[in-house]
Amino acid sequence: MLSPALLSIAMESNHQSNCKLNRIEKKFLRKQIKARHTLLRHEGIETVSYATQVLVVANGGLGNGVSRNQLLPVLEKLGQVDALLMPPSKPYSFVRYKTVEESKKAYVTLNGKEIVDDLGQRTILYLNYVEKAQWKELGLQTFPPGLKVVEEIVSFEDEKLLLESINWTEDKNNQNFQKSLKHRRVKHFGYEFHYENNNVDKDKPLPGGLPDICDSILEKWLKEGIIRHKPDQLTVNEYEPGHGIPAHIDTHSAFEDEIISLSLGSEIVMDFKHPDGVTVPVMLPRRSLLVMTGESRYLWTHGITPRKFDTVQASKGHKSGIITHDVGDLTLNKRGIRTSFTFRKVRQTPCNCSYPLVCDSQKKEPPPSFPENDKEASQLEQEYVHRVYEEIAGHFSSTRHTPWPHIVEFLKALPRGSLVADIGCGNGKYLGINKELYMIGCDRSQNLVDICRERQFQAFVCDALAVPIRSGSCDACISIAVVHHFATTERRVAALQELVRLLRPGGKALIYVWAMEQEYNKKKSKYLREDRTSPEKKEEISSDTSVQEMLVEQMPGVGNQDSAYSVPSINNFQHGSCNSKKGANSKLPIHTNRTSFHSQDLLVPWHLKGNPGKEKSIEPFGPVGTHDASPVFHRYYHVFCEGELEAACQALSDVSILQSYYDQGNWCVILQKVSSSL
Amino acid sequence: MKLLTHNFLSSHVKGVGPRGFPLRLQASEVRIMPVEFNPDFVARMIPKLSLGEVPTEPIQGYEQNEDFLRTMHHILLEVEVMEGTLQCPESGRVFPITRGIPNMLLSDEQTEA
Repeated sequence: MLSPALLSIAMESNHQSNCKLNRIEKKFLRKQIKARHTLLRHEGIETVSYATQVLVVANGGLGNGVSRNQLLPVLEKLGQVDALLMPPSKPYSFVRYKTVEESKKAYVTLNGKEIVDDLGQRTILYLNYVEKAQWKELGLQTFPPGLKVVEEIVSFEDEKLLLESINWTEDKNNQNFQKSLKHRRVKHFGYEFHYENNNVDKDKPLPGGLPDICDSILEKWLKEGIIRHKPDQLTVNEYEPGHGIPAHIDTHSAFEDEIISLSLGSEIVMDFKHPDGVTVPVMLPRRSLLVMTGESRYLWTHGITPRKFDTVQASKGHKSGIITHDVGDLTLNKRGIRTSFTFRKVRQTPCNCSYPLVCDSQKKEPPPSFPENDKEASQLEQEYVHRVYEEIAGHFSSTRHTPWPHIVEFLKALPRGSLVADIGCGNGKYLGINKELYMIGCDRSQNLVDICRERQFQAFVCDALAVPIRSGSCDACISIAVVHHFATTERRVAALQELVRLLRPGGKALIYVWAMEQEYNKKKSKYLREDRTSPEKKEEISSDTSVQEMLVEQMPGVGNQDSAYSVPSINNFQHGSCNSKKGANSKLPIHTNRTSFHSQDLLVPWHLKGNPGKEKSIEPFGPVGTHDASPVFHRYYHVFCEGELEAACQALSDVSILQSYYDQGNWCVILQKVSSSL
Repeated sequence: MKLLTHNFLSSHVKGVGPRGFPLRLQASEVRIMPVEFNPDFVARMIPKLSLGEVPTEPIQGYEQNEDFLRTMHHILLEVEVMEGTLQCPESGRVFPITRGIPNMLLSDEQTEA
């Protein structure tokens, strides 16, 4: 048996470091803590660390075979028992002592006490202080944790005013207006909600904020303690009978914990689903406020089935609560037009909830696989090329400042007054090289094109597979480090064909793509040669010395410090990896920067630094030092084997290859458009 | 976007082909950005222009006509459309111009196969 003195020291101070506990005592402590957590998690019982009159006695309940006859005498030995509550079917009970002193005595003495139940089985009691004897409602279903419904929260007059305050007429100039979704009309205030990614654009608040009438109502709710935080985003949804919203969790990274929804015009049944499969239908009466926090906000999905009638409990009418399975009491309720005002607070820092599996801030993306059709390829490119360049544009641009000599040579050799298109111009590095040319750049990334514009270049946003330039109008085109971002052979060829389409007969195109072979003629490319310790590597935004620039600026992947990998010596090209056929559903490998390639199709990491392009106010970091690890982005590449680019170009119509060479880790081709017989 | 650039742009909406030129330009904000006059450069640009109904052969000796070249220089190179729209004459699809940058992205259904 544990010595009470030692126990009391252990219990009263939670600092185990101050006490010398033996192994048994430590084990006991663990069990007690576990019991505490179990009670909280499953039963909604909150224990407190300070002494109160009421104790919860875990393992001392009717549900685990302990009877009142057995337990009461044990408790009465320590003091005067005011009440012993033993909820049916629960493995715990509550005891209230007349004084806190007596309760303390019981806490110290009875913790860890072994008693024998009805069946003669031994069980150990664990005691914890509580504020009051409280447990979840009995029944098959309970509200999802953190959920509450406050009825009659606004008056009929306020309901009318709120509904009238929304102007639904289509007004293209009004940013608040959202074209109606398939199921219902919506309008946003404060921040625009984007349905493509279920997130808000935190950098672009909508002018006007929330309507005035909402502001005063929210203040009232704050004062009354109905809500704890003041929201800054509002989405108004109008549901006609038959409308619904698919089950979803509001994006963790978009909004803070408390999400509230006011139901006006009509009541409705909203379904809450737990990942384990449990579904709880909840009646939301007219003029009630639904408050979702904690588990109900982060883990359970909520949705409204698109239908015209809801199944409700006849006896409860339109009162809030869960719709039970009691078949004898169910009836149908015809829906009316329900308008919901959902208020949320936009999150400014990543989410750090306890539900990482459903948290977009914490969850790692599933690794992408090799695309099997054009649509998959397009989606892969969207996620692992376009989205990435938009995010890294500023940093990327800062590492792309030195034009490569061969490309400069090509441009400078063009006749004066040539019209030249740079397809995939990035930050416009080549657009100003030769002032005698008229150069137009285009890129898929708006953020990169913005940078071109800042430099006074002519540039626009488009896709390299569909360039909006007149056929046969260009004297020359360049495509530098672009075609290797397309995920299928067909798309790569299509991109090359576009370049040719733009050329006038006799016009030339220069194409650079990343080579699989990073070592050529026994000479390693600069990409491989650099190691971590070389001083030149440290600078991304380097000074003007050309050597430094040349070394720093490399193929994609420069400026990333990865773990130090010594370069394996490679004598020849890795012919083995070229022309290898991909198995179905094979995952794309993630490349380790500064090493040779082992696969033609892969993801290359980019470690984002700073973010010179964006002007964001930095949130002060909390004490837990969160979020200072630099984000890593993965970009998709198809690296080319020797001869692959040339073969692809040769297959194009009306083309002749002028030159084909290797330049610092790239395969390069200069081709010319020949006159086609019309 | 300079007017010279505009002359090279053509709609790439699926199926329109050459009927996608010229894109109808509506400018709501225009700026004049001075550019150094280079008569030789302007003269070389003129034959590249596609001017539709206008006779494609420019007047004889236009390369030496400084007034003509200066005028063309101003129109083609110094006028910048900052805000506006470009419209495909065949399909009606509208592309926005924001901060001098046309956004010519199409959704998947609209691109050429």
